[in-house]
Amino acid sequence: MDNDEILAAIKALLVERLKFDATRAAMVTPDTTLPKGIDGSLGLDSLDFIELAMGIEERCGVVVDEQEDLAPHFKSVGSLVDFIAARQVGR
Amino acid sequence: MTDPSLAPSAAASLTGVGTEAGAPPRWYSHTYNRPTLYRLAASMAWLPRPARLAFARAVGQAARRLVPAERAVVRSTLEIMTGATGARLDELTAGVFRDFAMCFSDLVTTNRQPPRRLIAHVSQAQGAERLAGLTGGMISLTAHVGNWEMAGRLLAHRSARTTHVVVAEEEVRALERWVRRDGDGVRFVARTAPTVSLQLVAALRRGEVVAVQGDRALGTRGDTLVPFFGRPAPFPRGPFVLARALRVPLVPAFCMLGPDYRYSVTVPAPLTVEPGDEDDALRTWVGLLEATIRRHPTQWFNFFDIWNPLRA
Repeated sequence: MDNDEILAAIKALLVERLKFDATRAAMVTPDTTLPKGIDGSLGLDSLDFIELAMGIEERCGVVVDEQEDLAPHFKSVGSLVDFIAARQVGR
Repeated sequence: MTDPSLAPSAAASLTGVGTEAGAPPRWYSHTYNRPTLYRLAASMAWLPRPARLAFARAVGQAARRLVPAERAVVRSTLEIMTGATGARLDELTAGVFRDFAMCFSDLVTTNRQPPRRLIAHVSQAQGAERLAGLTGGMISLTAHVGNWEMAGRLLAHRSARTTHVVVAEEEVRALERWVRRDGDGVRFVARTAPTVSLQLVAALRRGEVVAVQGDRALGTRGDTLVPFFGRPAPFPRGPFVLARALRVPLVPAFCMLGPDYRYSVTVPAPLTVEPGDEDDALRTWVGLLEATIRRHPTQWFNFFDIWNPLRA
């Protein structure tokens, strides 16, 4: 998957697994932040991140099993796209 | 699993269940949740355990007079849980403070011993053999009853895998060294950000253990009302969502102090959560918790109104 395809996959996950409105998901850009507590973010809570991680595993074939802190990779849509792309290359 | 503090007593409006808007409960803000008390309790470690527990019982009886609001909550909770009244209810109320003091004393002394020595304080371990058949990731589910921290440490030792213990963000930083001591395969993970769940996903994917407390609502949309002693009470749904998503079993565990001052560890049958069955699994867990409390009503160590916990 290239970065555009990964971005499209994330938008689809937002709608299908996290039950976001399709219009809102369509407006997501790489700069869109994810966790709640950040102004202008999508406001994802801990349960959302579980669903998002599982969706990424299923849709992108990337297993989320790192020892390192994953929070920076899930801070924004762009950082998440980079994370998934790097993991796919590394497989 | 290691937050033995009393809960705040101030009553105000109910902030709501199942929303993200309400302020989270502040379990750690009690006046008596001070490092001095932990240090004092830990300083008794030199005493032989029978003498230390006798001292703890005396302190527990004295301490209950210092916390009238919590004493009133404990009394009303026990009235609902047991149906007791009058002198019997007074006796049970005193018993909560007595048993809490003993378990608290063990928390900061006995629990610090290596697991092989902890076993000497366990009279029976019913169902612990179930762990042998669980090879991948799993979620250990406990509650603020008895000596939950010892249950976690024993299970971590038994499972021979790193156990990630999920705890609330400690408001009193100086307490962390007393209640959140990493080691013996146990690692504490504070709920400081929503992304903390990713650490748990990754740990379970690596085949490790995640330990959570399943009795305190978080003031988030994950809270779900479940009948508890006949009345709806909010319980956290998160562990069941995690178990379903990762397809890992939930392993309930209780560690209760017996009349001989030794602990009995009980590990009921693991719970598996199919998609859409999160609420059913949560109700099963609450049923197990309720049955445990019926047998040990003086070891329910939540000093707040469990049916309306988000008053702040």
